Amino acid sequence: MFLNHFEYFAPKTPAETLELVARLGSKAKILAGGTDLMVVMKAKAISPDYLIDINGVEEFKGIFCEPGKGAVIGTNTKLAEIQFSEAIQEKYPALAYAAGEVGSSQVRHMASLGGNSCNASPAAETPTPLVALGAKVVLSSISGERELPLEEFILGVRVLDLAEGEMLTKFILPEPKLKSACRYAYMGRRDAMEIDCVNMAVTIELENDGETVKNIELVMGSVYPRPLASKEVTALLLGQKLSDQLIEKAAEAAQGEAKPIDDIRASAEYRREIVKVLACRLIKEAYAAAKGV
Amino acid sequence: MKKLIELDINGRIYEVAIDARDLLIDVIRNKVGLTGSKKGCGDGDCGACTVLIDGKPELSCIKLAIASQGKKITTIEGLVQESGQLHPIQQAYVDHGAVQCGFCTPGMILSSKALLDRNPNPTEQYIKHELSGNICRCTGYKRIIEAVEAAAKVWSKEGV
Repeated sequence: MFLNHFEYFAPKTPAETLELVARLGSKAKILAGGTDLMVVMKAKAISPDYLIDINGVEEFKGIFCEPGKGAVIGTNTKLAEIQFSEAIQEKYPALAYAAGEVGSSQVRHMASLGGNSCNASPAAETPTPLVALGAKVVLSSISGERELPLEEFILGVRVLDLAEGEMLTKFILPEPKLKSACRYAYMGRRDAMEIDCVNMAVTIELENDGETVKNIELVMGSVYPRPLASKEVTALLLGQKLSDQLIEKAAEAAQGEAKPIDDIRASAEYRREIVKVLACRLIKEAYAAAKGV
Repeated sequence: MKKLIELDINGRIYEVAIDARDLLIDVIRNKVGLTGSKKGCGDGDCGACTVLIDGKPELSCIKLAIASQGKKITTIEGLVQESGQLHPIQQAYVDHGAVQCGFCTPGMILSSKALLDRNPNPTEQYIKHELSGNICRCTGYKRIIEAVEAAAKVWSKEGV
């Protein structure tokens, strides 16, 4: 299995990188971890003329997490760094957990947070909690930057709102609200090196009374072409004090919104069942955790 | 077009002529001649090709050799101590019968080293989680986990 011939670039600064991205356009692919890119190149699914290796650019790496100020995570921050970051574990446990469940230890030491979103696989792990946490992405080009909610950046299977000459450079996570919690769960055939058949994240924020739901975001992965934020769950549970019946009703609403497919990993019917199971479990967990804050 | 690059493998600098598309595993095995690292699935799934890059476990079958310049690469050959003695993890694998056909062993041992470097007192669950990217088709997992637990004991005592 040989890769196609390509020209290799290893820029050292963001400016050099963006100049290359602008000049080479869609004939180039950005190489971060390569855990998705190399595999599709080996399968000859794509054959880029140029590879821009961004691993030499320090500015694209790192977790900047200050108390009260959310977090900024560079696009080429490795998933293992997020998994083991004490700051992320404390402030965004759902993200640290999701990052720690991607692939294997080796994959997590290679793969980047940016790549996990830019690969735009419906079954990706980290976009689900990132959307539930309200993450934004920063898209940079030689002519400037723009910010976009991650939810609007991933448009479908392998489709991004990314103009020619642009690249994702960082993620901006808002500071978690007081009396709020986010939880993540997934279902797959085995723990390691599998692709989720359903994953899900739920963020709940409570009113000052510590019981009434002020805000709820339920995001599903692997059951829609892109991370799917439920509208009905929010509509049903906003302003409510949660009971088991209400949670079950909301989980059924999420089931109705999911549009899973049959594939090698699971049937659509099974996935729909799992949506309900995970939704019930996560709403309860996040509700309990938010109350405890 | 071939390009001359330098790779730091096990503390020794190798000068190799490579093509940009050459994978690290092929260069290590075929050009450098260190055949301890194994090429299993070739797709990054099985972990047989695991090497340490700056101390972190990476899959050399989906890693470009050209992208590995300037890094410290450690293969299984690099673990043997200068005296010729086996590394404590290797010794623990031998002592616990954790080697069967041996094909997964180099990758398995390097992943073990990486997990012990991060956490010298791992729980069984932690070992399983961090070793889950190394597949053993002889299915000798139990003894492998025992070997890592035993190595951890030596580790915390001697700090290797």
